[in-house]
Order: sequence, then structure tokens, then C-alpha cells
Amino acid sequence: MAEFSKQLERLEAIVRKLEGEDLDLDEALKLFEEGVERLRVAREQLAQAELKVKKVLEIESSGSPADQ
Amino acid sequence: MAQAIDLFTAASTEGAWTVGEVTRRARAVIEAGLPPLWIRGEIAGFKAWRSGHWYFSLRDKSAQIRCVMFAKQNYMLPVPVDGMQVFVFARPSVYEEKGDFQLTIMELLSTDKDGLWKLAFEKAKASLMKDGLLDPARKRRLPPFPRRIAVVTSPDGAVLRDIQSVVGRRWPVAELIVVPAQVQGAKAEASVCSALNRIRRLPVDVLIVGRGGGSIEDLWAFNSERVARAIAAMPMPVISAIGHETDVTLCDLVADFRAPTPSAAAEAATPDRTEVLTHCGVLGQRLVRGLRLASRHVVERLNRTGDRLTRSMDHRLEKSRALLTAHSARLDALSPLRVLGRGYAVARDADGNVLKRVAQLPSGKEFRLRVTDGEVDGRVQ
Repeated sequence: MAEFSKQLERLEAIVRKLEGEDLDLDEALKLFEEGVERLRVAREQLAQAELKVKKVLEIESSGSPADQ
Repeated sequence: MAQAIDLFTAASTEGAWTVGEVTRRARAVIEAGLPPLWIRGEIAGFKAWRSGHWYFSLRDKSAQIRCVMFAKQNYMLPVPVDGMQVFVFARPSVYEEKGDFQLTIMELLSTDKDGLWKLAFEKAKASLMKDGLLDPARKRRLPPFPRRIAVVTSPDGAVLRDIQSVVGRRWPVAELIVVPAQVQGAKAEASVCSALNRIRRLPVDVLIVGRGGGSIEDLWAFNSERVARAIAAMPMPVISAIGHETDVTLCDLVADFRAPTPSAAAEAATPDRTEVLTHCGVLGQRLVRGLRLASRHVVERLNRTGDRLTRSMDHRLEKSRALLTAHSARLDALSPLRVLGRGYAVARDADGNVLKRVAQLPSGKEFRLRVTDGEVDGRVQ
């Protein structure tokens, strides 16, 4: 989940910026909104309840895994 | 003409034996008299054929015996070298086609403990090291949030069950891609290599290669240089979980991370979702606090600006007031009332026009005279 990793990194950067820098209210609001959105997406990505298991069969050779 | 003696006829069944009969008989005698047994000796003239069969001699100071070890017996063994002292468990026999007395070897052990394995292991290790494949700097970091986790292992073993249960508990967000392979037996090496090859082309974030514990022979495929090189060449980080913690295989050495058990491999491959969710919660709180903090900055700045504004207004008002006082003093000085006070008077007609000239004051003209403390009416005589 490369996207999740990026999502979280950006979120952490936003929080640090909000906490650390002297920002315009406008800029702070924009960052806050972006942060909330990224948090929502991240939580959504974590929501999958059950592990998906796929078996790649012997005959499979096209490069994409097939469901068993 | 004398009739030629038919020796073949003369030497009937009782008189002379055929080669085949003798060798068959010799073989029977030897096999009956020398059942399979352990023999100690030194390997000489070792040769591995393309078929996988091994041919060599076993010798000591006084004698030597030709030996064959077929592929189906030797496939799990590292290749021995000439001069090596070994024990063999072998069946003495006669190879009829050549009339050779020979040993068919069923087992071969080095006299050193694990000598053969150690030799093969060290040889392969040296070769991997020479190519820099054991360099610690090659080890890649495991991805913190893997989306796709591939597993190469026996499809119905405890290894897969353990990995699936740990990943399912910690990080069900992921997708587990299982590529079954034979992890033991003659085809294990090829099977593991082909599984690795299939994964190479898949968008996988991390790979676990797993195999339960077993004897050094059972783990043979994971000590194969070919498998080790295939693992080293994988485009994604590889976690090895092979055998028990004490058995270090070549695959363990080239993998990016070595786990003591399959469950530990699954733990190393995944974050704990509960922890990640908690972290997200903390980030959310910090986000809100951050905004509050940022708006407080702004409010404070506004307050500071307001103060300055008030201060500057005060200052200006003060100045204006002073100016006003000065102006009113001057105005006061110029006031006509002050002139009247000094004894002058102003005459005005009924319309309020000031009468300043004689021409404006003909005889009988009525006017009002303003003096310092009031007005009086008058008429020109």
C-alpha cells in the first residue's frame, strides 16, 4: 500500500506544519482541510475487514494472479 | 577330411559356461554373500553424468572398487570431491554388461560431521560472497504498509496456515498471494525457482519464503546456490523463514530479513492495524489542535494590530486636540467681539449689512449699533 504510506507521510507533514509554523489563517485552513481528507482516505484504506488470499496456480503465466 | 570338433557342442552345459552365465552366477553369489553393507573409503575419479548419476571409485591403500550412485539416491546430496573420506551404504554386485564388480551406493556420508554439506555450503557461500550478494548493504528495508504479500511455500503446510493467521489478525488490509512450491524432494529446487520467477512479475510489496523445520537434507533446496541467487535477484524485499532458528541456509543469508519462524516472518512483514488506527487518531487530534494553534496565532496578531491601531488613533487625537486649542486661541484673538471690547462699534442696517461709508448713511437712515455689551438703535441727523 504505497499510497497509504504516502498518505500517512503527507498527513504527518501537515500536522508538523500546522503545529510548528506561523501560518495565515487561510493557509492553516487549507492544510487542515487537506489533512482531514487524507485522514479520511487513510481510515478508509484500513477498513478492509478480511484478508484476501489468492493462489497463483501452476498454469498461471500471464503475470496476474488468478483466484483459486 | 577330419571333421572339425564342435567345441561349442563338446563343451555342453556341463563343460563350458557362457560369459553371461558366469557373470550372472557371479552376481548371484556376490549378492547373496555380501548383502548391503557400510564401507569406508576415499573417493577417486569422481564424475557426475548429465543423467545425474555419479561414477567414482572407492579406494584405500590396497584396493579399489568401482561405484555408482544413481540420481534418485544422490539428488539431495552436495557433490563430493576426490580425496574425500566417506562412508557409503552400498550393495556389492556385478555389472554384467561390463563384468565389473561394483558398488551401487544407497547412502553416502562424509566422515566429518556434515562434511559434505558443509563443503557444498561453504563453496556456494564463497561464490555468493564473491558476487557481493551477502553484503549487508544490499539488505532492503521492509515496506511499512504492504498491500500485497507473496508467500512461497508448501500449499498445505502449517507454514501457510501460520502466516495467513498472523497477517489476517494484524493487517487484513493486505492481499496474500500464495505461490505453492515443492519445498522438499527432487523437484524442490526447480519448483521454488519457478515460483520465484512467477512472483518476479507480480506487483508484490514483500515476499516470504517459508519452510518448516527438518533435517539438513530436507532443507536442501534452500541451500541451493541457484535458489539463493534467485532470491537475491527478486525485485522486492524478501523475508526468509526456513527451518529452525539454528539452521542457517543460504537463502537466509541472501534474504533481506531472516525470521526465526513463519509467524515471525508474517509479523515482520506487517504493521499492526490497531496501532496504525491509533496513530491515525492521534494525527487527527494533532490536526485539530494544530488548526486551533494556528488560528490563535492569527487572533493574537489581530489583537496586536488592533492595539497599535488604537494607540496611533489616540496619538492622532491628542495632536488634533492640541491643534484645536491653538486654533481657537488664534480665532479668539481675531474675534470682532474683542475689537468691540476695545471701544469700537459696528453699525448695520435693517438687513444686517455693515455700514462702513458716509454714502451708506444719508440723513434719516436708521441703523443698529453693536457695542461690546449689546445693541442700540439710532438715526442719522
